[in-house]
Amino acid sequence: MRSPRDEFAAGAREIAPVLVGMVPFGLVTGVAATASGLTPLQGFALSALSFSGIAQLVVCQLIAANSPAIVVVAAGSIVSLRFVMYSAAVSPHLAHLDRRWRALLAFLMTDQSFAMTTARFSAPGGPGFRHWHTLGASLTLYLSWQSVVALGIAVGAQVPASWSLDFAVVLTFIALLVPAVRTRADLGAAIVAAAIALVAAGLPYRLALVAASLAGIAAGMAIERSRRVRRGIE
Amino acid sequence: MSTWLTIVAVAAVTFLLRGSFILFANPHKFPHAFRQALQLVPAAVLAAIVAPGLASPAGEVDLSPHNLRLLAGLVALAVAARIRHPLAPIAAGMASLWLLQGAIG
Repeated sequence: MRSPRDEFAAGAREIAPVLVGMVPFGLVTGVAATASGLTPLQGFALSALSFSGIAQLVVCQLIAANSPAIVVVAAGSIVSLRFVMYSAAVSPHLAHLDRRWRALLAFLMTDQSFAMTTARFSAPGGPGFRHWHTLGASLTLYLSWQSVVALGIAVGAQVPASWSLDFAVVLTFIALLVPAVRTRADLGAAIVAAAIALVAAGLPYRLALVAASLAGIAAGMAIERSRRVRRGIE
Repeated sequence: MSTWLTIVAVAAVTFLLRGSFILFANPHKFPHAFRQALQLVPAAVLAAIVAPGLASPAGEVDLSPHNLRLLAGLVALAVAARIRHPLAPIAAGMASLWLLQGAIG
């Protein structure tokens, strides 16, 4: 069994490659906060408290579009629903920890640390001090992310509009979307959601995002069900 | 003031969603349909965000070749489908947009 210190160091070391890919995403997120009209302090608070690039970008986009607070919060919640999946997957590994540990690791959970946590706890042997591995990875990612976002906030005001850097935000979502489409149901969900997002664009308060997401999920579930029914018949 | 409330509310919601099962629930009592719906969330939500960013950058849907962001976005989608690295579509999309803007404007 490795000591807490060794686990922490191993986690911090193993997250390092992820940090490289995170830099441009964090910069864009910081720039988006400035571009949306948030003050630097508000932009940094949003980052430090919610620690989710996607949620931060969506919130900034909607604030820039003058959306009402309730719509901003609803959209931020919807894009964060995947955390519920991660939470469900990780919870058996962390069930032996006290509430403070679980709250800390939940607060720091990201797409990347979720993947590393499940990998570390799946290795042979008991849980031991493996939660320190999760902490090492998550905390390293947290501190790096906040530094890069802060840099983005600082330089954001100096970037000329003609560089179209706001387009990098859309491209970041493309970089996340494509690997998320793994099954035919995912593809159906994505196509229907994209179509509804355009058709429903006239809805007030950017409700199109909510409507499109729900329609896409429903379409994906219908595809999944019909696939299963067909299999059942064959 | 309402901006600060929004920020705090978003922070609270992201924390509660992250903590949902870790802090409050028994993962074994999870209805199958709900589990399935959650798996579709990333594809649906991300597509709903990307589509207007490409097809209606100025507010109105524009599927013509004059919409440079749509063209650059399609390049980025094609690149992302072939190259796994997350930076590839970002680099390809920005380069395409700058080239198109330079060529036209």
